[in-house]
Amino acid sequence: MWLVYKKELLELLRDKRTLILSILLPTLIFPIIFFFVGKFSADRNAEAQAQDIKIAFVNVEQMPGLKALFTREKGFVEVDLQSSDYENQILGKSVDYIVEIPENSLAPRESKEQQSINLHYKGASNLNRILSSRIDKVFESYNNTERKALGEAYNIPNRSLKAFNQPVDVVNKNYASSREKIGELAGPFTAYMLILLAIAGAMYPTLEVGVGEKERGTLETLLLTPMKKSKIVLAKFGVIFSASFASVAVTLLSYLFWAYIFTTSFNLKGLGFMSNISTLDILLIGVLLIPLTSIFASVMLSASIYAKNMKEAQAYMSPIMMMGFVPVIVAFVPGMELNWKTALIPVTNVALAMKDLIKGTVDYGMIAVLLLSTILIAGALLYFVTQFFKKEKVLFRS
Amino acid sequence: MIELKNLAKTFVYDKKEAKARQKKEVKDPREGDGVFHAVKNVNLNVEPGKVLGLLGPNGAGKTTTLRMLSTALQPTSGQILIDGKDVTKDPIYATKQIGFLSGKTGLYHRLTVQENVEYFGRMHGLSKDVLAERVEQIFTLLDMHSFASKRADDLSTGMTQRASIARAVIHNPRVLVFDEPTTGLDVISAKTVLDFIESYRGTEMSVIFSTHHLHEVEQLCDQVCLIDLGESKFFGSTEEFRQISDTGDLYSSFLKLVEQQKEVA
Repeated sequence: MWLVYKKELLELLRDKRTLILSILLPTLIFPIIFFFVGKFSADRNAEAQAQDIKIAFVNVEQMPGLKALFTREKGFVEVDLQSSDYENQILGKSVDYIVEIPENSLAPRESKEQQSINLHYKGASNLNRILSSRIDKVFESYNNTERKALGEAYNIPNRSLKAFNQPVDVVNKNYASSREKIGELAGPFTAYMLILLAIAGAMYPTLEVGVGEKERGTLETLLLTPMKKSKIVLAKFGVIFSASFASVAVTLLSYLFWAYIFTTSFNLKGLGFMSNISTLDILLIGVLLIPLTSIFASVMLSASIYAKNMKEAQAYMSPIMMMGFVPVIVAFVPGMELNWKTALIPVTNVALAMKDLIKGTVDYGMIAVLLLSTILIAGALLYFVTQFFKKEKVLFRS
Repeated sequence: MIELKNLAKTFVYDKKEAKARQKKEVKDPREGDGVFHAVKNVNLNVEPGKVLGLLGPNGAGKTTTLRMLSTALQPTSGQILIDGKDVTKDPIYATKQIGFLSGKTGLYHRLTVQENVEYFGRMHGLSKDVLAERVEQIFTLLDMHSFASKRADDLSTGMTQRASIARAVIHNPRVLVFDEPTTGLDVISAKTVLDFIESYRGTEMSVIFSTHHLHEVEQLCDQVCLIDLGESKFFGSTEEFRQISDTGDLYSSFLKLVEQQKEVA
């Protein structure tokens, strides 16, 4: 069996595509891409914050002080309107925002009533959302000024004014640690990434050692050797499992390495929660991936052996990928947690456990339950694939 | 000596395939209710040192017969005897006695020629010393030393064919089975295969060789077996096969037997 395993592994390692897909891509290329995408996104955000906003006012004299709040802020450039066709001027980009105060409106402090202001703009992109948030801040400031003035007009002290404005101020005392809060987002994302990598890492070797052997005509010669079919298929399974697991393990280690580098070199506080994840938790994430990777390796190998040709095998891979992703997505549904029932659902259970491990809220007893159930399923599937490989109908399907 | 006695192989269709077959207007007479009798009754024997040519039209059952002989398929009934031992009951013994090569069998592209041959030698359980000796012997015989360290995907067709032969005989088998080994090969590559088969004539090995090229039978074979519709319709010496037709050539004899079979069917 080791002879077949070593041969298959040697062939895989001599294939540049495998090395690029399994090692180089997740360890070096992905982190570099993530870094540059993140940097690009941050730069664009900073640019949007600093970008000049062309703003025009209509009847602004009816609300004294409003215009000054805008013009004293950096980045607001007042422009004159060419006509009363606001829409065309905004779509023609001669102005970004128009603050229109309806005729006969007065400042709230004078009218003692709530007033409306029309804000004209084109908001269809993320950039507009950032610009609009700058506009909102100025209006908030104007509201505060007017609120204060109204209070003075009615002789309401500032404290009482706050009560009018917000009778109850809920002060949140959230005892969730930053690890839990960030882990709630990072956990499912990590689970998704690792499961995706487990599937992606298994795919190429699966096609290579299954249907690839059929197409090259080497499978038949392999079957004519004295080695038992069960040993041959176990060796093939071993290669797929090794490639898939190595791909995930290398990626996991690479992410930990890059997280450390980014945290220490760029002072990214968001990644600081990772330092709270214990070695045991990281090891458990790795352990969880063993039966999970076995499940994917068995299912994919069965499909690859069954397929008549590469095209058919590739067609089988898409539903298998979906089979892997749907249970992971289920694990993201709010309220889904690891319990006696969910611990028995393959893939979902691993995703939930990974989330809990990263959040630091895991029930280790449940980990044992899910490991047992996943190992049983992986074992049953492995037995199935060894039996499948013995069938003449499967091996010589044409 | 190798003997095939009343060999038969029946494939069972799955439901979907059985339905599709029922709709077909022209049916193969071997089709039954949800089953296909690919090989119904094949009988032949080859003595050591002899080369047998296995003939038959496409779909006659030649490849199925050879796959049973090579243990890739399990016969439904009948016997395959090598030196009197029924190999259907001991497939591991059979794999040690048989070397198999077809026009479709390939090599591992990312392994060198030597790695390919050694891999199969080790799969057949050869010890390190014996393997080294066999590799040296075969590489010299087939003049393969010059490209032994080349990867299989860098070989010419002729080199690939020689490497495939070396792979098939590394374990020194008693019986050599060649399933249309020259199909798709150019003249020079085909000659390599035919010369190799010829070199086995008169040795202790039995060779069974299926082909559509009757000039190859003329050149190499001591015996002929013609299979049609899953049954061996002729088994005898090449000379006896030639005498079937009035003109005394293999081509006419082949056509005469196949036409006769069509009329019966």
